[in-house]
Amino acid sequence: MTEQYDAIIIGGGHNGLTCAAYLAKAGRKVLVLEKRHLVGGAAVSEEIFPGFKFTVCSYVVSLLRPEVIRELELAKHGLHIMPLLSSFAPTADGDYLLTHPDESSNYHELRRHSKRDAETFPLFNQMMYEMAHAVKPILATVPPDPGAPGLSGLRDLNYLRKHVQGMDKKSFHWLTKMMTMSVSDFLDEWFETDILKALMALNGIIGTMLGPKSPGTAYVLLHHYMGELDGAFTAWGAQKGGTGGVSEAIASAARSYGAEIRCNAPVEQVLVKNGKAVGVVLENGDEIRSKVVASGCDPTVTFRKLVEEKELPSEVVSAIDNFKYRGSSGKVNLALDGIPKFSALGEGASAQCMAEICPSMDYLERAYDDAVYGGFSKRPFMDVEMPTANDPTMAPPGKHVMSIFVQYANYALEPYESRDAQRDAFGNAVVDTLAEFVPNLKDLILHKQVLTPWDIEQRIGLTEGNIFQGELTLDQLFFFRPVPGWSDYRTPIKNYYQCGSGTHPGGGITAGPGRLGALEILKDGQV
Amino acid sequence: MSDCDVIIIGAGHNGLVAASYLAKAGRKVIVLEKNAQAGGAAVSEEFFPGFKASTCAGGAGYLSEKVVADLKLAQHGLAIEPSDALVFVPQPDGSNLTIWRDVDRTAKEIEKFSAADAEAYPRFVEAMRPMAEAVESLLRITPPDLPDVGWEDLTSARTMAGPVWKIGRKQISQFLKTLPMPVADLLDEWFESDVVMGAIASSAVRDITWGPRESGTAYTLLYNWALSNTGLFRSSGGMQGGMGAITGAIARAAAAFGAEIRTDCPVSDILLEGGRAVGVRLASGESLKAPTLVSGADPRTTFTRLIHPSALDLTVVRHTRNIKYRGSAARVHLALADLPEITALAGGDTEALEGSVQIAPNMTYIQRAYDCTKYGEYAPHPYLDIEIPTLRDPGLAPEGRHIMSITAKYAPYALRSGSWEDHRENFGEAVLSALEVYMPKIRDAVLHREILLPVDLEERFGLPEGNGSHGDMTLDQFLHMRPLPGYAQYKSPVEGLYLCGAGAHPGGGVTGLPGHNAAREILRATG
Repeated sequence: MTEQYDAIIIGGGHNGLTCAAYLAKAGRKVLVLEKRHLVGGAAVSEEIFPGFKFTVCSYVVSLLRPEVIRELELAKHGLHIMPLLSSFAPTADGDYLLTHPDESSNYHELRRHSKRDAETFPLFNQMMYEMAHAVKPILATVPPDPGAPGLSGLRDLNYLRKHVQGMDKKSFHWLTKMMTMSVSDFLDEWFETDILKALMALNGIIGTMLGPKSPGTAYVLLHHYMGELDGAFTAWGAQKGGTGGVSEAIASAARSYGAEIRCNAPVEQVLVKNGKAVGVVLENGDEIRSKVVASGCDPTVTFRKLVEEKELPSEVVSAIDNFKYRGSSGKVNLALDGIPKFSALGEGASAQCMAEICPSMDYLERAYDDAVYGGFSKRPFMDVEMPTANDPTMAPPGKHVMSIFVQYANYALEPYESRDAQRDAFGNAVVDTLAEFVPNLKDLILHKQVLTPWDIEQRIGLTEGNIFQGELTLDQLFFFRPVPGWSDYRTPIKNYYQCGSGTHPGGGITAGPGRLGALEILKDGQV
Repeated sequence: MSDCDVIIIGAGHNGLVAASYLAKAGRKVIVLEKNAQAGGAAVSEEFFPGFKASTCAGGAGYLSEKVVADLKLAQHGLAIEPSDALVFVPQPDGSNLTIWRDVDRTAKEIEKFSAADAEAYPRFVEAMRPMAEAVESLLRITPPDLPDVGWEDLTSARTMAGPVWKIGRKQISQFLKTLPMPVADLLDEWFESDVVMGAIASSAVRDITWGPRESGTAYTLLYNWALSNTGLFRSSGGMQGGMGAITGAIARAAAAFGAEIRTDCPVSDILLEGGRAVGVRLASGESLKAPTLVSGADPRTTFTRLIHPSALDLTVVRHTRNIKYRGSAARVHLALADLPEITALAGGDTEALEGSVQIAPNMTYIQRAYDCTKYGEYAPHPYLDIEIPTLRDPGLAPEGRHIMSITAKYAPYALRSGSWEDHRENFGEAVLSALEVYMPKIRDAVLHREILLPVDLEERFGLPEGNGSHGDMTLDQFLHMRPLPGYAQYKSPVEGLYLCGAGAHPGGGVTGLPGHNAAREILRATG
């Protein structure tokens, strides 16, 4: 017992750092403990091969809550998000859809496929904008607890009623549909062009083990529309230097407010005395005391690994054990000797945009079917990004890095005999499928890094490799996240808090859980 | 000059229930039925000389107890005879699992597959029952016009909150969390055996398009549970004379209360005056007038065929067009020379077969059968829910003969490639092949088979896309969204016109509740 902090934050992911920054900004003495050699958790950029820097796990950042950017003055700390300009999606028959940032070019490209869709597109965006606006206050709110005893349960219900009542009927009906439908059905009500629907459906399936035809995925689409860049909803953006740059900016803000960040400091356990958290024990045996402890790790780590079962009520234990992770995404990072060329496009035209391998809605659904019973998609969905197009410093001159976000890959080992065999087969399926669209790909590959959901779990500690720290399904959102009764960032252990994506508003680089967790800690006044 | 107080279009069971309540309250009611007999989809017909089957609807035990009591249906001949067996699930290895009315007897059966599941089953039943009771009262309310909810809506026992409060504060979150879950996830929290889960999950998906992994199927399980006459997820027993005998009893009750039922009397359209419904024109050219019109037809038929869409608001037309029907089940009736031996039923005691015989050994089998429909294909290995009504009602067939009435899934309304006319017999073969696994001699026993595809059910019973629920029972078509967003209070967008069919809350099945709820609202509105 050498030091005394007001707060210890376990895990230097972007939410842990955000929590730390808010607490430090409020004048508290804060220590962040990160097990790896760098901060950022899933949002890190690393030099995996000499000279080549990769955003290893996560890939886009537009979900970052604007109040966090503002309140932590992240721009001053190096946050520099460049809007992604276009998405390029080749079809199976050699055509493609190339979306543009400006409305008029977009109209002309869409019109090439369908006049009706070209005209509907702005109306759809307007509707999504309204939806995002309607849901926005909920994202910045600590979930109420309708099961809370007595008056406070009623008060919370009344809060919900008031919010709902404030919505106009049309929006509420759309919202009901968004919360319950499949993204495929939802888009079918608007559009007719398959490649357009497939491209738009991606935001409904990213990070989940659900296909575009699974009900519930329309909400995931909305979740991905919550991003705001410069006040405009929906624009995905890329951070200069990869998403690691976002974590570094938040870390820099935290440090500037006086927070201490210690890397290579894995936490073994939270110290609990008489039902109260009093500090942590590191893997090396060091004990560090603090008034409160907050975990940015996922619910399984937070409740089942960092504390002993006897400290928790049995219903919380079983609810956490039933929490669904089902990591579904993998990552393949390639170091390339030159510019990859998509056969559907002319020379070099694709360098500035994200390429999406989602040639049809059925293709995506079949990719899901392949993996849901075990194994991975024989022909996966791929989100292909070339960060060097925006930021050449990420690779040596003339060389490129390509980050491929891949779905679906099942966490389970079956039917493979070893994780190595599974990883090899998965990596080959990705490269083979992409090479169908990029004929010169295989000749350019200098290095290849393949991460299965299991690898992501091993590397970053995300249970089952779920990048959202738990599925974003209706039964795991808002006051159900992570479990009913404990969605307000507290835990059954006094002075032990949650601040990771396993809490509301959920996954993605939003920083929302970190901010709300910090605000609740401050509200309780223990520090 | 009015011909009566209320005209009801369609003498399906809900139209008849509404007619009974309205006539009972003193209204002069005329019910117009296009077919030669009343009953709608709940009819018994001869499909082969001497063989009489419940052509379309099955499942006698879901009729609301309140409706049975209010309308004194027992006096009119309603006598549903429960069986002890609910579901018999043969396994390819010759073993079997039977779900009985008796929970302990079922637990013993489950022991053959998993000791842990046998131990969990009674606890599962106990945990679900209060939820099913809450759902049951939810089914009898008039849905609130969300988002317009008042404080009373949250607290009054007569509205939505009443049923929810009833289950108690502690369970409220668990209840709200359970409704949108996939039944597969719900069962996964309790059981380990795919066989056990399959025997339960079938009750959730038998009447909707989804497979057990789709979210919202936990609700459909509870829906069936709420209405069944066994206190369990599956109802039991039948009527002497089949489903037609049930609607026969309701028709007699309606007539006894003074309602007039005119058969062979198709309505060609609804007459509007100044936007208000004032009567109907019959196919014969005759017109009937009444201040109140009630349509027992589904919303698509009502708002696109009985009323010309040009008379309706555009939003209403769009919502109507977007209703998902998606019939996915065929009805197959087999006239059998004798009851062929089931290899999984040693000793030949047929008691276990008196409920449903389920050809789908486990939950994964059901899900895989569903997967095909996503691509517009029928299941090569279909899931079959079989009733053998002749076991308890030998009079339905010549002496010594038997009938199998099969709900065969999944068969989508439209095939992606090829036409159903080319595949009708192929699907019939797929059904027999699935049966043959468990009844090797089935083909020798078949005297005649009648295959009613969704497209046939549409034509014969006026059910769009062959969906018996007048719109799929999914979460986006539930409560305030059913049948159309903004019109869930049995009133339609047309003044003077009400809906009382399964397209309205609470939905499908021979429950009588849409008719019951609609009559209540009509009486309230018309003084």
